[in-house]
Amino acid sequence: MSFRIGATVLIDRNGRAIQSYSFKVKRILGCIKYVLSFLDAYKVDEIHLIIPLKGRSNRASKVLLELKDIPISTPLSVGGGVDSNSLIEITRDPYFERLIFNSAIFDNNELIEQAILKMGHQAMIASIPFILEKDLIKIYNSKMNKFIDVTENFWENLSLMFNEIILLDADAEGSKKGFNFEVFRFVNFPMDRILISGGLTKLDINKAKKMKLAGASLDNITLHSEFSIKELR
Amino acid sequence: MLVNIIDVGLGNISSIEHWAKNCQHSPKRITNASQLTNDPIIIPGVASAGEYMDRLSGLKLDKEIIRRCQSGQKIIGICLGFQIMTNYSEEDSGVRCLGLLNGTTKYIRDKKTHNGWEDFKIDTREVKHDVFFPKKVTKKVDGRVYFNHELTVELEEDVYTHILSSGIASYAFKNNIFGVQFHPEKSQQTGVDLLNLLI
Repeated sequence: MSFRIGATVLIDRNGRAIQSYSFKVKRILGCIKYVLSFLDAYKVDEIHLIIPLKGRSNRASKVLLELKDIPISTPLSVGGGVDSNSLIEITRDPYFERLIFNSAIFDNNELIEQAILKMGHQAMIASIPFILEKDLIKIYNSKMNKFIDVTENFWENLSLMFNEIILLDADAEGSKKGFNFEVFRFVNFPMDRILISGGLTKLDINKAKKMKLAGASLDNITLHSEFSIKELR
Repeated sequence: MLVNIIDVGLGNISSIEHWAKNCQHSPKRITNASQLTNDPIIIPGVASAGEYMDRLSGLKLDKEIIRRCQSGQKIIGICLGFQIMTNYSEEDSGVRCLGLLNGTTKYIRDKKTHNGWEDFKIDTREVKHDVFFPKKVTKKVDGRVYFNHELTVELEEDVYTHILSSGIASYAFKNNIFGVQFHPEKSQQTGVDLLNLLI
């Protein structure tokens, strides 16, 4: 199976694509319809959509519905605060093949089990934004809106519940400064089920291929740089 | 051409509709047996076998699909739609399926899943089995297709099939029955080319 080159797209409550830099600065990128159409035309292997779904606000629900009208033929994953309400919305007509979880990883096994029942284990992705600080890994918990320490149990639980994880280098997000591969000193998860994201360069992608990782998810650079997805693959 | 898309309230109907429209076909959602026409029938994927078969049976669509299949109507099954074409699936503690293809659907060994892209190639001129491809100018599809599943079909009859190096059946074609384990609707140009080859 070939190494996958995906793209991560953040969407705000109004359905606009936004750019994020190092988890700190965000700016509006444009209409999600055009962004998805471009990525589809670029033939990325998959698109990871992060939408503020929590609480199933009317707007988030509307964004989900609007996305289903965009005629793209690229595999889609969706996340950004999936809860039991948005799970019902998503699984009603699963336009999205896979689900991305973050805060539920820490405290909501029930929701994850519910999602496995509805979508299957193959649909389960954990988003792991990380920073390395004082020779320790800290992982972002979106509910707490901060990076926290984790124990070895965290990784064990992750391997049981999730099919794949996306390791997102939060410091490098939105830049081209390179992915911090030091993170692999702390990660206990099957290598062929890991995607990396954040600050990726061509060198990083080559390294990831040599490590036999599942793939890489490009962030903003996909939309700004003129390079061939096919060549990267 | 019109294509019947089975809609039991489960499955990725919107994606299948987009796919059909991309190929210049007109999708029609089928929510009960009386709505079916004599055009090709697509059974979508992305659901679990137990719940899907329950709903098919509740709407009497299971018997109608079997009847129409036996009378030669083209049936295309995608992912779960392919799996329920077999006699039995291990999913949801065991489910009796449509039995259009002689085989069973089992969990991939070691509880592994299969996600990602694989090469796909078909040339209808090289197919020796009985498969009712429509007469077309284009007879080949060569590209890559997207897989996302944790169960796999194991066939017990000699049909036209392709088994990946991992042992997973990528597709199985028999007469008017076309089952694909991958998602052509999410396989970009290759998916469009495949639908154009099949109908």
